[in-house]
Amino acid sequence: MNEPDASSLRLAIVVDEACTRIFDAWEERARVTALRVNPAVYEAVAAARPGEVRRGYPLMLLGMELVPDEGVDTYQPTVVASREAKEGAC
Amino acid sequence: MLTEEENERLCRVGPDTPMGRVLRRYWTPAFQLGDLREPDCAPIQVTLLGENFVAFRDTSGRLGFLDELCMHRGASLVLGRVEDCGIRCLYHGWKYAVDGTILETPNFPGSTFKDRVKQGSYPVRESGGLAWVYLGPPGTEPPFPHFRWAAAPPDEIAVSEMILDCNWMQVQEGSIDSSHVGILHLDTLAVTDAGPRTVGSFEFAGQPWDTGISAPPRRLGLGWPSQDNGPKIEVEHTPFGFHYAALRDATEPGKQYVRITAFVMPYTAFIAGTTGSVIVVPRDDTSCSLYLAANVPSGANGRAAGGGMNRGIDPSVWGPERGNRRLRLPAQDREAMATGRSFAGFRGGNRIQDAAVQMSEGIIYDRRKEHLVPADLAIIRMRRLLTDSIKLVEEGKKPLGLGEGYDFSNVSGAAAVMDVGARWQDLVPGNLGEPARATLVDEVT
Repeated sequence: MNEPDASSLRLAIVVDEACTRIFDAWEERARVTALRVNPAVYEAVAAARPGEVRRGYPLMLLGMELVPDEGVDTYQPTVVASREAKEGAC
Repeated sequence: MLTEEENERLCRVGPDTPMGRVLRRYWTPAFQLGDLREPDCAPIQVTLLGENFVAFRDTSGRLGFLDELCMHRGASLVLGRVEDCGIRCLYHGWKYAVDGTILETPNFPGSTFKDRVKQGSYPVRESGGLAWVYLGPPGTEPPFPHFRWAAAPPDEIAVSEMILDCNWMQVQEGSIDSSHVGILHLDTLAVTDAGPRTVGSFEFAGQPWDTGISAPPRRLGLGWPSQDNGPKIEVEHTPFGFHYAALRDATEPGKQYVRITAFVMPYTAFIAGTTGSVIVVPRDDTSCSLYLAANVPSGANGRAAGGGMNRGIDPSVWGPERGNRRLRLPAQDREAMATGRSFAGFRGGNRIQDAAVQMSEGIIYDRRKEHLVPADLAIIRMRRLLTDSIKLVEEGKKPLGLGEGYDFSNVSGAAAVMDVGARWQDLVPGNLGEPARATLVDEVT
């Protein structure tokens, strides 16, 4: 998939795909600690939250810290997960 | 979260906007039939998707839905006379039929003008106490959604409209947001059923407080058998959009409390454990109509017009009658909150509590700033379907969820306690286009 420019980036897809992967990981009893995203996504999130960047907070999506990774497709974020049992799993 | 551009595309609904073009490809609830009860009664103005219209019922009982301003000189037809099978503009007497045909032009007699053009008019259908219109390109009407609740006799359907001064997406997102129910609506649950009594460290002190609200029928003892406020959300696509299950640890060990909501693109949600629907329709970018439609027992006199749906809501806040449908938020009872008698502090039940938080997000919420969590998956998926539909329509294709070939009377929500791991889809087989097992669904709703 071609990399979109900032104005055509569809975070709606990124968030949906990421959320689905988090639930899939939880289903496998894994603990999700972060999300790897394409740098274009990371920059879009940073641009949307200048206040958090200014305060030195980590960029978060769906409660997970974002890690920019050029090897990740724009619309295929991946979870960083450990195999520990998730606390409070549904 | 969304980019600024995505948020604009999602929220703006006028005729020249991406979402406006998508929404015009579905049948859209426009007004309550109770507002035009009799032939030749007074017309009404309707604001819908950023445009103004006039609705009227002609001498033979047919509904007309026309552009509001007379095509001659732009006077409002809402001021007009409804008579002799048409509506007549007061200004120069031009008269129109329900299909926009110009019947008379008294200040331009003998002209063929009226035979060559028409006032803008739109198809109208009557169903479930509502008038539904199609504002899309002529000839592109999708199948009409005949919902199960709408098939009941008129006196067994209750409909009401609440107008909220905020963008429609804020309200629509609330209608498919399961994880807030056991929190924001704690006061309601405490009054209407054996619901939870805590949120985090909050505990009720004393008796339930919002006692004036309408209590729904008890759900065969189901209540709200869970203390779990962090549901797992499972979403599955359907011919009409999607349905999702909110899965909570049930009070009973080894069981899960399942609440299934069906979202029918783009306006309608079938909420778990209810007989009808929540329908959210944009009036314009900054206000929307929240319709509640439900089946009521036979003989519930007057409830089809919305009577009885305002129990517990102060008339100074909102009422179902025309002229009183725009919500004016009541003051929050901080003393009741501080003393533990109320969690949210808003009397009037779920709709008031929902409206308070949804309108508090601002006229048009800036979704760049939000921090979604996985429990928001249904909201996330709805945004994706809507923005995917924008893209499809821009490519000259049909939007998603038109349900062509699908029987909309099969759509339902459900609530049940099930074994952990049991297939919740079995509770709502009709949602996937399989033959409905109505008995099973009725047992658990």
